[in-house]
Parts: sequence; C-alpha cells; structure tokens
Amino acid sequence: MIKSENIAGSMDRFFISKIRYIFQNYAVALVLIAIVILVSLYSHSFLTIQNFDNILKQISVIGILSCGMTLVIISGGIDLSVGSIVSLAGVIVINQVNTMGVLPAIIVTLGTGALLGAISGLILAKIKGRLGEAFIITFGMMSVIASLTMIYSGGIFQQGSGTGLFGKIGLGVAPVIIFIVIIVITQFLLTNTPLGRVIYFLGGNIEATSMSGINVSFYRVMVFTLNGITAAAAAIVLTSRVGAASPAAGTGYELDAIAAVVVGGVSLSGGRGSMINTVLGVVVMGVLGNALNIMNISSYPQNIIKGIIIILAVGIDIWNKNRQWKV
Amino acid sequence: MHEFALEMMDITKVFPGVKALDKVNFNVKKGEVHALVGENGAGKSTLMKILDGVYSSYDGEIRINGEKVLLRDTNDAKKNGISLIFQEFNLIPSLSVAENIYLGRLESNKLGVLNWKRIKESAADLFQALGFNISADAIVENLSIAEKQMVEIAKALSINARIIIMDEPTAALTQSEILKLFKIIRELKCKGVTIIYISHRLEEIFEITDTTTVLRDGQIIDTVKTCNTSKAEIIEKMVGRSIDREFPVCQKEIGETILEVKDLIRKDVLKEINFNLRAGEILGISGLVGSGRTELARTIFGADAVDSGELKIKNKVVRIYSTLQGKKNSVALVPEDRKDQGLVVNFSVLLNMTICNLKKVTFKNLILNKRKEKLVCGEYIKKLGVKTPSMQQKCINLSGGNQQKIVLAKWLFADADILILDEPTRGIDVGAKFEIYLLMHEMVKTGKSIIMISSELPEVIGMSDRILVMSEGKVKGCFEKKDINPELIMKAAIG
Repeated sequence: MIKSENIAGSMDRFFISKIRYIFQNYAVALVLIAIVILVSLYSHSFLTIQNFDNILKQISVIGILSCGMTLVIISGGIDLSVGSIVSLAGVIVINQVNTMGVLPAIIVTLGTGALLGAISGLILAKIKGRLGEAFIITFGMMSVIASLTMIYSGGIFQQGSGTGLFGKIGLGVAPVIIFIVIIVITQFLLTNTPLGRVIYFLGGNIEATSMSGINVSFYRVMVFTLNGITAAAAAIVLTSRVGAASPAAGTGYELDAIAAVVVGGVSLSGGRGSMINTVLGVVVMGVLGNALNIMNISSYPQNIIKGIIIILAVGIDIWNKNRQWKV
Repeated sequence: MHEFALEMMDITKVFPGVKALDKVNFNVKKGEVHALVGENGAGKSTLMKILDGVYSSYDGEIRINGEKVLLRDTNDAKKNGISLIFQEFNLIPSLSVAENIYLGRLESNKLGVLNWKRIKESAADLFQALGFNISADAIVENLSIAEKQMVEIAKALSINARIIIMDEPTAALTQSEILKLFKIIRELKCKGVTIIYISHRLEEIFEITDTTTVLRDGQIIDTVKTCNTSKAEIIEKMVGRSIDREFPVCQKEIGETILEVKDLIRKDVLKEINFNLRAGEILGISGLVGSGRTELARTIFGADAVDSGELKIKNKVVRIYSTLQGKKNSVALVPEDRKDQGLVVNFSVLLNMTICNLKKVTFKNLILNKRKEKLVCGEYIKKLGVKTPSMQQKCINLSGGNQQKIVLAKWLFADADILILDEPTRGIDVGAKFEIYLLMHEMVKTGKSIIMISSELPEVIGMSDRILVMSEGKVKGCFEKKDINPELIMKAAIG
C-alpha cells in the first residue's frame, strides 16, 4: 500500500513538473488551443478545412521570413531590414523573370538577399555590436534598401508577364510546401550542424564564444546572410502569388516576423528557442488574425490585440529568464 | 570624545564557498592615517565594501564615534560620514566638476529650476578651502587622473565625510602628483578627517601613515604603529605562512622550448616582454592586479591585438591575431572570469565541453555526431572528475571547481599544448583547489606546458618551476625554483 502511494506521489510530481515545463516553454500552444476552441464556438466557418487551408497560405510568406529571423534572434541579434529586402527582391525577381528566365532570376534574387544580409552582418561584426546596435544598423539598412527599391522600380507597381512557370511557385499548396521545407532545413541547421551550435553560443554569451577560439565575426555574417536569403525566398513566393510586385510590398513584414518568433517563445536575449517555437508563433499569429477577421473585428482593434500579445510574450520571456537566473 | 572614529568588531563575511573575512577587529583612531595592507584576496576590499554599505549582510558590529551603526547601503554610509574613493572613479566624464560634486543634491528654487550660480560658487569655495587649483566649470573628462582624484576628495568633503577610504590612490599618479596628494592628506588630517589608506606600495605607507594593519586570508594579522615596524616585517606578515603540503608533488621532465616571446609590445599595457616556456613546465606569473598579467595572456592567445614583437611556437614564428589563430597554434586561455568568459553558464555541460573542437565530433565537418559528442563528454567528465548529476546539467548550477574543470576539459579536448591559466583557483574551495593542482600536474606530465597567472603567492611558489614577476607592464624578474622566496617576489612586484 505504502509503496503504491509513493509511486502515485512521484507520478504526481512528475506530471506537475512536466506541466510546468510545458507552460514555460509552450504557453503559446495553450493560447492557440484556447483561441481555436473559443472561436469555433462562435463561428461555424472557423473550424473548417477550407478556412485552415486559407490560414496556411496566408502565413507562408511571414513564416518563411520568420525562419531566417529565428536564426538571427537566437544568435542574439535582430534584423529590421527584411521587410525592405522583401520589397526589393520582389521587384528584382519580377523584372528578371521577364528578361532572363525563371531559374536565373531566382538565383539572382536569392543572391541579392544574401548580399544585403551579409552587409548588415559584416557591419555589426566589425563594430562588435550587440542587440542595440543590431536594431539601429538594420534600421539604417531598412531605409537604404527601401530607397534602392524605389530607385530601381521608379516607384511604380511592377507587373508580371502572366502565368507561366514562375506563377506556379505561389500557387495552391506550393507556398506551404516551401515553408515546410525551409522549416526543416533551418531546424536541422540549428540542431545538427556546427553552424547551428555556434549560433546558440553567440546568443548565449558572445564573449565566452570568442574566448573559445571561435571566429565570431564569420558566424555573425553567416547568420545575417542566411536571413537575407530567406527574406528573398519569401519575396519570391509572395511575388509569384500576387503576380506583380509593389515597391512597398514588404513594408511592416519585419515586425510581423519578429512578433511571430518572439510570441512563439524564442528568447529576444538570444541563446534559447527552436523552430518549433517559431512555427507555433507563426501559426498563432495567423490563426489569431483569421479569427479576428471571422468575428468581424476591424483592423485597428486587431492591431491593439496583436500588440498586447507581443508585449505579453516579451514579458513572459523576461519573467522566465529572471526565474532561472535566481537559482 | 571617543578615541576611535571607527570600530569594526568581529566582522565575518562568507561568500558561497569562501570565508572572505573571519572575525575581523579593525579599529581606527580619530584623525589618523591608517594603512590597510595585504595580498590580493586578503579581504581588504571586502572589509571596505562592508564599510561603504555595498555588502549589507555580514556578522559583527560597526561603531562610528562609539555609536553602533547599521550600514545597509551606500546612502547609510554617506550619512555616517564614510566616503570611499575607488581606484576607478565614480565621476561622470561628460559633466562639469561642479555638477559632479553636487550630483543628486543640486540646489534648486521652488520651481525646480537649478541655481547654477550658487552651485558653481560653492564648488569654487570648496576648492579654495582645500587649495585645489581646478575650475568648477572644467569638464571631468579633460582632467588629469590626479585632478579627478581631487574632485573625488572634494566631493567626499562636501558631504561632510569624516572617514575617507582611499583604495590605491597613487596607482595612476606621477611622482609629483603623489607628493601633492600627500600634502592634501596631511591637510585633511589637520582638519580632523580620518583616512584609511590602502596601498601595495609600502614606501608610501611609511611616508604617510600613522598606523598599519596587515590583513591575510580574511584575518587581521597585526596592527602596529607604522614608525615601529619595517618593510621587511610587513612583507613577512603579508605572505608569511607555511606553504608545504598545500600543493601536490610532481615528478616530471622538462623538455625543449615550446614558446618564445620576443619584445612583445602592446601600447600602454605591455612593454617589451621577453620570456620563454618549455615543454612540461609550469611557468608562474606573479604581479599585482593591473601589472599587465592578464593583458599578456590575452595577447598571446589572440584575444587582444599585439602592436609589435614576435611569437615563436615550436620553433616557428607565428602571427596570432585572433582567438581562432591562437587555438590553431595550440594555445589555450582559461580566463579569470569563468562565468562571463570561460563558459556559457546557461548552457549544459555537454554543449560547453565540445565547443572548442566541434569538428572532432562531426561527420565530415558538416553534421554533428551527437552520439560521439556524448561519448567524448562522458570521457572527459570521468577523466577530470567533474561532479555533475548529468551532462544536461546547466553549468551555472555547478560549483566553481567543477566549472573550472569543464573549462580545462574543453581545452584538453581541443588538444591545446600551451595552456594559459589566469587565476585558475579563484573562488574555488580548498579541496577543489588541490584537484585542480593535480590536474595541472597531469597535463604537464603529458608534455603540455602551463603558464599560471596567480595573485596568491603561495600558489605561484608551490606550483611553478619558474616564476616571472610583472609590474607596470614589464617583466621585473624571473626566478628559478631553487631561488624562489616570497620576499624576493613581493619586492620585485612592488617595484
């Protein structure tokens, strides 16, 4: 008898600690479940396959963007210029598809994204900047790239030349598949490669990483380069889906991506988080937006709700961290 | 009138794992200049920080002018007339002298508008009374170090400080500035201000102080009238303790020269450093904090850039301009600041263990072989005797000794042949210290070489085959094991 009580007690403790773990790391998953339950009670059109198909397509672009942003944030940085990269990459790809063909156009576009990311990374590495510097430098890059886009496009909406092969990238489930592939690649990179390991260390403590004989500058440039590439990839999907490119298409996307990553539970102070967090964050923000639309809440109150959720997410992150530090 | 300005009775302060102060009784008479001397880590700073209210939890009693006081924070200390002047000044460089002096208590009228005229006037009056020749309008960052010190003193007096603690006040002063400071100290004494004077420079102590207290290992060794003692006697009291059996014995062979440092210069920090290191040797580097020891270590490892000079490793001239280069040339640095530089303390033992040599735990340098990583980690945990519940344990939850073992392990895994250990046993308790010493012996037995920087004289003497003494960025002496004695080293270090 006594023995079985002991086992029951330890099982209780095991579950309590498990639940606490889930709460700390995946609180947002619970938020997601809550939203789904509440909204499906309110509206019958919410919990339908068609609606979820909709949501998935809507979140793909921000999702792809968030994958690269996850790497940057885990490495202890941030990149505000990705929205501008989306705009520039969009007008580049649509023009180049018209002149040089689909595959070369995609390569050139991804290369442009890589280059722009590398520039931010290089500046940051050279000045040995931290999160604060990353904010300001990429803020500067954001402005520079936005202006380049205007100059390159003449400020005019760029029309594509109709359907063809390029149009298929943004068609049907293709964006979702691209999103999933990029998720798998970045997650593998993070957990199974030396590069991924160093990304965590950069965010954990850049000084200690450097003192471990690691060329931190090289890795910082790498992270921002990868982020530039995913931004360009997001632009390609977006442009293909729309069939045209506005020189301001990506405006504000950087904030959506950062919000998704942070809401998912990736720590803004670096060193913690994974693609699971990011995917959760992207889905929650997507489902939330969709749910608010279904409930006929107009976009201004929607933004207030989103803002509050982002602030809460950062608050929870800091609270978690402080608890850990206390040990 | 009470005889003592300050009485600290049975003060005990315990840090996790270390007893920094053990029943210290420290009494200072009114209007005297009282020297507090001791090696680095003897407990001087801890004692003064208690007095300044920085450490509010301690055992014991503090009396000022015979009255018991509670010093819970620096404001309490200020209210009781205690002012501490640190080695690094607490001045704001971009503000004026007057603003710095009256910061936090700037005089304003009822509307909250500051009365600049009054503020400047009172600063000027203060300087005049003290005989300082500094303009109240001067911006602090344009002042010399000596002038900044005068501003600190004026600031202390402006809040009616009756006890002023000066921590290494002459460390950055020229000879003429020192004389000026002494003049000021004597004037303060005439005004009845009590001064606690902390310095490593013993000749100054004989010039300026009335009483000397020697602190060692957190205990008061002696308090004497300065005129009744001698330099040799003070040094003996500072270092004198039996040093046998604290350190393991080691049978080993010393081989060829593995590292040669020629005319190494780093502007303002290192001045023409020359020395060499042989395989299987432990080279101790002694010297006071700020003598350039840590800077030398960082420069050889590649963490700081070198201005000129030559490094030869295994008879090959090498250029080390980054920590990666250092690692490739099999140099390792175990930094003094374990928690901020040695490890990512919020990461697990496993992650920290392999970070220096990730290539070795990959398939074709591309993909991590996590099974091998765990095997390696387990092997090194066993080899170095790291006590941890699991590999997944975060390093922050381990003791200092175990953390240090992990830092050593990660460099052993990286196959470093030249290990530079900066204060390898700081903050580590006695038992774990011995284990670290044993590990060091293990390493040199396998032909690795160690440069050990330490502020603890007994440790340097007990562990080293040779000792290099540094002072003011220069090598002031090199002693073979048979010639080593503490007084000699202390003399060279104090210069």
